[in-house]
Amino acid sequence: MGASGINKSFRKISGSFSIKTNIMSSLDPRVNRLDLKKIADGEIQTNSHLITWEVFHQEKRGKQVEHCGIVHASTPEMALILAKEQYARRGKTTNLWVAKTSDVYTFGTEDEDIFETTPEKTFREPAFYKVRDRIEKFQNKNKVNV
Amino acid sequence: MNTLALKDLLFKMADDALIIGHRNSEWTGIGPMLEEDLAFSSMSQDKIGHAQALYNLLHDLGEADADTLAFKREEKNFKCCQFVELPIGEYDFSIVRQFLFDTAELIRYDMLTQSSYQPLSLLAKKVKGEIKYHVMHGDTFVKQLGKGTEESHARMQSALNYAWPYALGIFEKSEYETSLLSENIFIGEEELKKRWLEKISLVLESANLIIPSIDDAKVVYGGRKGFHSEFLSPLLDEMCEVTRSDEATAEW
Amino acid sequence: MYGSTNLTEEEAKRMNSTVEDPEKLEAFEARIARGEKIEPSDWMPTEYRKQLIRMIEQHAHSEIVGALPEGTWITRAPNFRRKLALIAKVQDEVGHGQLLYSAAETLGKTREQMMDDLLSGKSKYSNVFNYPAKTWADIAVIGFLVDGAAIVNQTINSKGSYGPYCRALERICYEESFHLKQGHDNVVYLATGTKHQRAILQDAVNRWYRPLLHFFGPPDTMSAHSEKLMKWKVKLASNDDMRNQFLDMYVPKILELDITFPDPNLKKNNDGIWEFSDPDWDEFKRVINGNGPCNAERLAVRKFAEEAGRWVRQALINPSEKYQVPLA
Repeated sequence: MGASGINKSFRKISGSFSIKTNIMSSLDPRVNRLDLKKIADGEIQTNSHLITWEVFHQEKRGKQVEHCGIVHASTPEMALILAKEQYARRGKTTNLWVAKTSDVYTFGTEDEDIFETTPEKTFREPAFYKVRDRIEKFQNKNKVNV
Repeated sequence: MNTLALKDLLFKMADDALIIGHRNSEWTGIGPMLEEDLAFSSMSQDKIGHAQALYNLLHDLGEADADTLAFKREEKNFKCCQFVELPIGEYDFSIVRQFLFDTAELIRYDMLTQSSYQPLSLLAKKVKGEIKYHVMHGDTFVKQLGKGTEESHARMQSALNYAWPYALGIFEKSEYETSLLSENIFIGEEELKKRWLEKISLVLESANLIIPSIDDAKVVYGGRKGFHSEFLSPLLDEMCEVTRSDEATAEW
Repeated sequence: MYGSTNLTEEEAKRMNSTVEDPEKLEAFEARIARGEKIEPSDWMPTEYRKQLIRMIEQHAHSEIVGALPEGTWITRAPNFRRKLALIAKVQDEVGHGQLLYSAAETLGKTREQMMDDLLSGKSKYSNVFNYPAKTWADIAVIGFLVDGAAIVNQTINSKGSYGPYCRALERICYEESFHLKQGHDNVVYLATGTKHQRAILQDAVNRWYRPLLHFFGPPDTMSAHSEKLMKWKVKLASNDDMRNQFLDMYVPKILELDITFPDPNLKKNNDGIWEFSDPDWDEFKRVINGNGPCNAERLAVRKFAEEAGRWVRQALINPSEKYQVPLA
């Protein structure tokens, strides 16, 4: 439940369905139906936009779930509902995951060096292991017929 | 099969979808929050797509093609309820309308998956998922806004009070209710309304919103018989402005 | 102009004289020279952060303001195909805005601050959207030519150095290819249609020609230079280069429909460079400083959207949650 009391400046709710007279004559008929005048003179107030949620997308069953961006929302349900239209309005989607930005943890950039030597650990790579020469040498020596 | 009964059902569903889709597209670019702007816009595209699919079914039954049915029919031949014709108003009204209308729509399509008219049951099975999302959206926002701040609560209740007599007009019975039921085409507006009331009561209660009580005389009927609000004619004039600006044979 | 790197003389001078930690700067520039991307948690020069925020923010504003001229005709699209395509396209613009605001947020400016700066006039957006969409044919021209120009700009910028902006641009470029196709489709139907349709198309092309030339910003001879922005891969091509690429791709596609441009000097010379009459850069300056035909309306409508939506956002906020800068 939100904390604020009634905003004293909010408009009366009745009568919002009558067709407004043109304050500004626009080429857009939708704009001509908006009550722009009440807004035009008001001060711009700062107002926090909602917190962000990191969104993860799974294209097909069997594939990895991948980070694709953020949405601003206030609850998990809303984050999912809004993520659907921002990140899944084209192509295939099996599912979406959301997590608050504040719930996602990362290493600091200053610790990037912990990853630096990993590519050199070739003993973990299949290409490190070559025995073809050894096999041929053995076959030649022992006159093995293949 | 009673083709007149079937066509009447298809026309009212198609017209409802077209007009509410059209209304909701008016928010594209001016919604209250970017992400919500996107969601509302997608839902409006879905509805317009449903309208097109339903008009295509009518075309298969001998009526004109979808573009002709949508853009070249007279106002009095439309069978949409007056609820969908109303201007978008402020966001409170649009959300309340989206919630009330789509809850009914999901139940309707769910019922139609069992329809004896196969093209309709196939369509219903196909698009049900889209409408399910619309209901998820409506439920979430109605609950959040109903309970949010004092202002949002007051706005939502006021919008609900205004919308209520119009919303009940969705269930205006056609002259073919008995036929539709006996031929298993559609279970009927009476049953639909009953299930709708059950569903929305739960959501509105958890949103701290009260269902207005009105007597039947105040319900806004007429749309299904071609009697529309003052808003449909200007809507159609606007919607068809470009179509009408050139020869009937012009291709856009 | 879209993701604009046009600097004032003053800004260029300041950029070229700001002193940063030399060791960190060297590592930063080496990274960029290697073709690696800069991510939000990396050290970056103050000017880099500042210029990127400005560029991405302006691009984001351009998207959501750009939704307005095209939105003019949403309710009047003449058949199902056009209706669905136009709503989808305008929706995409809002979606692109969302992606871009999100990318700018990773640099530390909140969406709220960016919206405020737009509405107060402090932040700019692409000039091209200060012109009116007078007829249905304008929608075809905007969808094809303005989006075409945007794609030239976006494709080039997607090779830039800032990770989040590049990722947003890749996604945007993919969606823009739909815009281009549906825009071209619309243009072709009008060009090959009735006399009236050809007439409104020609009229729209005539009116949008100059704003399109203005789109990529003033000629290189008129712009303040920053070698730093090029070195940091924030600016990746000159305004003239991008403009020329655009003309090369799109002028023939209009001419082949027997539609003309209102410029007898528009032609490609022997060096492959498109020449054209001076498009009046004073007009560009006037419009970008607030005196275009639609500036007031665009801002009034955006202000309306923010203000009318305030009660909704206020009702959704959970006051116990604290905003945190997004990760990527």
